[in-house]
Amino acid sequence: MIYKIFRFSNLSLVLLLCLSTALWSQANPDAGKTLFQNNCAACHAKDMKTKSTGPALAGAQERWGNDADLYAWIRNSQAMIAKGHPVATELWKTWGPTVMTAFPNLTDDQIGDLLAFINGTAAGTYGKPAGAPSTTTVPADSQPKGISWVWWVLLAVLGIMAAILSRLIGGLNRLAKIQAGEEVEESRSFWQFLSSKGMVTTLIVLGVVLAGYTTVINGIGFGRQQNYQPDQPIKFSHTTHAGLNKIDCQFCHDGARRSKHSVIPAMNTCMSCHKAIVKGSAYGTAEISKIYASVGFNPNTNNYIPNYSTMPEKEIEVIFKKWIGDNYLVDKNLKAIDREGERLMDEQWKGIKSSLTSPTKPQIQGPVEWIRIHNLPDHVYFNHAQHVTVGGITCQQCHGKVENMDVVKQYSTLSMGWCVNCHRETEVKSFSSNDYYLNQFEKYHQALKDGSKKKVTVEDIGGLECQKCHY
Amino acid sequence: MNQNNMSDKMDGIWVGEKDLNQDLAYVSQADEQSRVRPDETKAEPEDYQANRRDFLKYMGFGLGAATLAASCKTPVRKALPYLTKPDSLVPGIANYYASTYVDGGDYCSILVKTREGRPIKIEGNSLSPITYGGTSAKAQAAVLSLYDTKRIQGPMVKNDSKWESASWDVIDEKLGKEITTSSKVRILSNTILSPTSKKAIGEFKSKFPSTEVVTYDPVSSAAILLANESNFGVKAIPSYHFDKANVIVSFNADFLGTWISPVEYAHQYAKGRKIKDVHGAKMSRHFQVESYMSLTGSNADHRIQIRPSEIGAAIGFLYNAIAAKTGTASLVNPPLNEKAAAALGKIADQLLANKGASLVVSASNNIDEQKVINKINEALANYGSTIDLANPSLQRQGNEQDLAKLISDLEAGSVDVVIVFDNANPAYDYPAADKFKTAFGKAKSRISFAGTLNETGEICNVIAPTNHFLESWGDAEPKKGLLSLIQPTISPLFNTRASELSLLKWADSANVNWKSDAPYYEYLKSNWGQNFIGEESWDQTLHDGVFNFAGHTPLTITNNTVDIASLKLSQPSKSENEITFFETVNMGAGQHASNPWLQELPDPVTRCVWGNYLAIPVAFDGVNKFVGSFGLENSDKVKFGLPGGTVEIESTHQFGQAPNTLALALGYGRSSHGPAEVNVGVNAFPHCQLIDGLVQYYNTVVQAPVKIASNERPACVQYHHTMGVEDIDKKTGKKINADEAATVFFTYFGLAKQGFQGSLVDRSVIRRSNLHDLEAFVTELKEERKEFQHLNDQTLYPTHEDFWGKGASWHMHIDLNACIGCGACAVACMAENNVPVVGKKEVSRHHEMTWLRVDRYFYGDAHNPNVVFQPLMCQHCHNAPCENVCPVNATNHNSEGVNQMIYNRCVGTRYCANNCPYKVRRFNWLDYMKADLWPINEPATVEGEESPFMTDNLTRMVLNPDVTVRARGVIEKCSFCTQRIQEGKLNAKKDGRELNDNDVKVACQTACPTGAITFGNINNKKSQVAHEVANPLNYQVLEEVNTRPSVTYKSKVINRDATIEA
Repeated sequence: MIYKIFRFSNLSLVLLLCLSTALWSQANPDAGKTLFQNNCAACHAKDMKTKSTGPALAGAQERWGNDADLYAWIRNSQAMIAKGHPVATELWKTWGPTVMTAFPNLTDDQIGDLLAFINGTAAGTYGKPAGAPSTTTVPADSQPKGISWVWWVLLAVLGIMAAILSRLIGGLNRLAKIQAGEEVEESRSFWQFLSSKGMVTTLIVLGVVLAGYTTVINGIGFGRQQNYQPDQPIKFSHTTHAGLNKIDCQFCHDGARRSKHSVIPAMNTCMSCHKAIVKGSAYGTAEISKIYASVGFNPNTNNYIPNYSTMPEKEIEVIFKKWIGDNYLVDKNLKAIDREGERLMDEQWKGIKSSLTSPTKPQIQGPVEWIRIHNLPDHVYFNHAQHVTVGGITCQQCHGKVENMDVVKQYSTLSMGWCVNCHRETEVKSFSSNDYYLNQFEKYHQALKDGSKKKVTVEDIGGLECQKCHY
Repeated sequence: MNQNNMSDKMDGIWVGEKDLNQDLAYVSQADEQSRVRPDETKAEPEDYQANRRDFLKYMGFGLGAATLAASCKTPVRKALPYLTKPDSLVPGIANYYASTYVDGGDYCSILVKTREGRPIKIEGNSLSPITYGGTSAKAQAAVLSLYDTKRIQGPMVKNDSKWESASWDVIDEKLGKEITTSSKVRILSNTILSPTSKKAIGEFKSKFPSTEVVTYDPVSSAAILLANESNFGVKAIPSYHFDKANVIVSFNADFLGTWISPVEYAHQYAKGRKIKDVHGAKMSRHFQVESYMSLTGSNADHRIQIRPSEIGAAIGFLYNAIAAKTGTASLVNPPLNEKAAAALGKIADQLLANKGASLVVSASNNIDEQKVINKINEALANYGSTIDLANPSLQRQGNEQDLAKLISDLEAGSVDVVIVFDNANPAYDYPAADKFKTAFGKAKSRISFAGTLNETGEICNVIAPTNHFLESWGDAEPKKGLLSLIQPTISPLFNTRASELSLLKWADSANVNWKSDAPYYEYLKSNWGQNFIGEESWDQTLHDGVFNFAGHTPLTITNNTVDIASLKLSQPSKSENEITFFETVNMGAGQHASNPWLQELPDPVTRCVWGNYLAIPVAFDGVNKFVGSFGLENSDKVKFGLPGGTVEIESTHQFGQAPNTLALALGYGRSSHGPAEVNVGVNAFPHCQLIDGLVQYYNTVVQAPVKIASNERPACVQYHHTMGVEDIDKKTGKKINADEAATVFFTYFGLAKQGFQGSLVDRSVIRRSNLHDLEAFVTELKEERKEFQHLNDQTLYPTHEDFWGKGASWHMHIDLNACIGCGACAVACMAENNVPVVGKKEVSRHHEMTWLRVDRYFYGDAHNPNVVFQPLMCQHCHNAPCENVCPVNATNHNSEGVNQMIYNRCVGTRYCANNCPYKVRRFNWLDYMKADLWPINEPATVEGEESPFMTDNLTRMVLNPDVTVRARGVIEKCSFCTQRIQEGKLNAKKDGRELNDNDVKVACQTACPTGAITFGNINNKKSQVAHEVANPLNYQVLEEVNTRPSVTYKSKVINRDATIEA
């Protein structure tokens, strides 16, 4: 009865399909970064290229040639040296007697992540925006979140094949029955198949499950805005400011160290530099003029405009069109404004006007209405100072590599689960140095001293309690 | 208490006669808060049945709505930076500015908390040598009046009896023509504390020489001023030192609540009442002679009941008793009731035994009676020790006789211009207001500076609105030589101008720089430069808010002889009924009528809200029932005749009130002050008498009140959320624990049970003792607490001591002896925690949202009981009954010993509120604050009326941005000001230093004028709270039920003399 076996394989085909998608995975350099910071950074330089207590890690994978040996080395270097592995012996000659800490608990995946991060950093591709050439690592931002389209196509093809096969098996079965002289039912039409009781039931069940799933997932995601990346009224680039010019985050966001708000800098903070830097590298006069129009700075005469708040729009327009036009003349080395110049003046002035006005703010004068990216619900209390000053957490941990963002986007989910996980894992760094902690929590200090506790996490000191964030 | 052998001498405590009488209606109301609202159940027809179709409909709708909601775009939120950020300001961090709360003669030195430039909370200024960081309910609520929607938004001129907006230029020009050097101008004002205002008025006067200032106070102390002028040549209120007095006798003076400078007096008084060591404990003894139970009377050791008209007789009797002992001349004394006479005789002995350490004060507005009071204090050698007249208080300067003269001048047509300064409002608060109104119309120009349109403003023809005190510069001199500065904490919200500037503008002053951005600031500063301080100490003074002027010279006192025999005391009336009119701690003389926080603050004694209620005395019927006089049930609506006309009003029963007397609060029944819902109650001012031009706050021409309707649902919180009631088993007649008789009706194995919840019997709610048996009491208390602890230790639950030993553990200590019941803490709590105001109707359904209530219990003689006030908030039990009944774990405990309430997790089952033995959890029946995410979800209506409080954008500016505004359907309760705890901890962490007591102070603690509340980390043995908790007088409420609360109370101790029967 060969047909029975066919029938079976029909099912296993579907099973195989499901399994193969589950097995799909890829090294995650972000996880590798965390691992590197926690385990390796003490001895190995972060740029992977300079020597430190330990060797530079760039090219380590090539040097070893064999991943299995490299993995074994990371888990226990002394064992490899004892075995007499040539690469290990070579390393020991150069670096001994400094012993590399053994990491027996690292899984293959974790080491894979770690290597992805090391290679990515060495090649300079880690953390670069999507589209940048990549070798072994895929930048975190552009990494596919689920099965890529290839897999969907494959799934569809396999599904169709399964349907065809099932049809074929059905046909063969019928033929076999006819051959055996058994009575055969009329073959069901496609419509009959669709409207059959079993099919309808299955569809309803599937529908309910799908609707329930969608409702729950959307419910959970309600109000969450990960990757929210709106266009801002001024094309302010963090890449230029924090990336290229290496301005410290807290130079402008000066609330982060002392207040619950990190604070969007006041316009006069911008002016402290942009009084001198009057033209941008990317947009020339178009964007920086918006700052001037907001605070009432006349770039032509290099002074603040008196009684700016009551100045009619026409006069403001004259000032800024002159500024844009003059700069155009200088740039193009022209004597008089040409057509292109006129167009530029109009276009940039329109830009100023539309950026600085809104239905609720008809006046050009006054603060820029930035679009708020990071929004927490009203019942959540978050304090930057607690995390930045007391916790010593870098801005990038929650906000991502803002210094590489031309347009800022929300990097983290800002979900409660995300907060809670971090509170579970994060060690209270100043626990043994801050007098606040030293004068309380005697029991923890005792436990740290006698070694019964390795570290005190935020959770340990009440960081998971509801009323630390909800009140 | 057993009904069978009832008497008027009680063993236990009680809240009112309903629980004494075991009123069945009351019994069934006790758990009202947790019931379904009656109108909600009505919404469904009786034959209503949910069927399958409905189920599918709702399912479908729910699914659809969820999908829709999920696919909706989250609204775009904007973030606006400052253009130029002030250096001192960091968004998210509060700034505090020292300033001064001044309202007429009321004074309080304060710190104003501002966030992002908005004043949101008022704290006491501990640098003040007058208030010592204490505040009053009125001062706490003043920040809300800044955001009053009824404030006048700019100058107005009346044209054909209609108000029209005008510009300041128009007003100035118009008045420049109307006020000429020859016009006869009167400036009509309440007490002015500001030296700079007086200077401005002086300049105005020199420009317009026929200007006179008429000062009066709505609740007058003119008789004291006049008596002191005649006796000592000083027309001022002396500085009293209640802390230095061992024996205090007060005739009608409500010095802890409303009289002259209550915050100052309360601080002093509490000093003499707090017990530090049980061994050799000392306390002052306080006698209060009055008819109505005032807040001060409720704190007294002895209350001597008199009828209102017997005040003269009582003062005279005390004088004669002292004179008889000291051998000085006696006076002709009117007859006094025997009981009072007997008590006053003994009081005289005690006063004489404490010469130089006693104090006799009176609120009587009769000059001769005040002269007798002065003579008594002289005979007791109190001048120089407990009374200081050389450095007097300036908090009352008004004399209503001047107002009477103004009226006659007006009637004679000899006044052209009347300028009504700031909030003076004689058209409402002068007994002969009608006469005033008629006469007032004869002045050609009538100008009001009022910030909100009041009755007097209505009949003016120009309104030049002044700033709110939180928007203006200013100063105050509440005592000779003790000054305070007022600094603005926000730019004027509306087009208003300081009244001083208006005067100076009209006087065309050369001393004002009109081109300046802040002309009055410069004027004020130059005045201070000339008189008090130089530039170099200005910043420090502004920072401190208060200034002790060393250059001030004490006044010289002349001792004029007084002919005792010629003094005329008021004669007791023969009329059957008499009525007293009194000020309340929240409404004052009516200036605060539009402040919903104060309207919703229960009167400390009657515990009624939103209106004034006629207080009816309660008497024992001699058999087994306490009944109200005049055959009135509690809270009946009554009608009765008074000289000023017939009054219809709700009534309330009041223990401790003298028989055949009535009492009615002043300050209610405003006719032109905001929306209808704040014009509650009846105006009592027209019913006060004027004798020799002085207002007498009682009347003897009173009809007996007659019931016109009963009132099932009075807005009186007296019987809400109680825990001290017992019940009688109907079958056996035995006293039973009502709480154990369970809830409502239910059947269990054929046994029908009935009972009510939330009421406990014979439980340790209040512990009290008398000074002379204190040591025995302490021993007994210790034994009893040991027994409780033993019982509690037999628990099956694991203890959490280890858990709380890790970090901080927050604890509160409340000294019942220091608590005077003033309610400042309750308002502070509402302000700090965004507690909604619900309005009268909702309160009447037990829906008030207050996190902190000040319970009032009576004990002792039912005809003249003693009172104990108990501030009660969430007790943060370490073994909390609320926590283990919550199905969604929305209330749980944290490692710092705080019982957390998580609004976003709460689904509103109210199980926790039912299971709370302290009844401190509140349920948001409606979206009182319009806080719901979806506006469609918020029918903020109460039986069809829109909730009028805290829902408009102006008022909402007062909200604390660190506290969630709760939406409908969640439980809320005291959080131990968790936002302050978190802030304090963070500040310590940021500085890398140990957490200390000053880092965390809760709102109720900082508001308290007497320092009754201590809060801190009990794990820190150096903290004040750890020290306080070690006191042997301490107990915990309901300790025996093993809730293990985080709040400890210190027993109430009074200093009664057993030989005095009163």
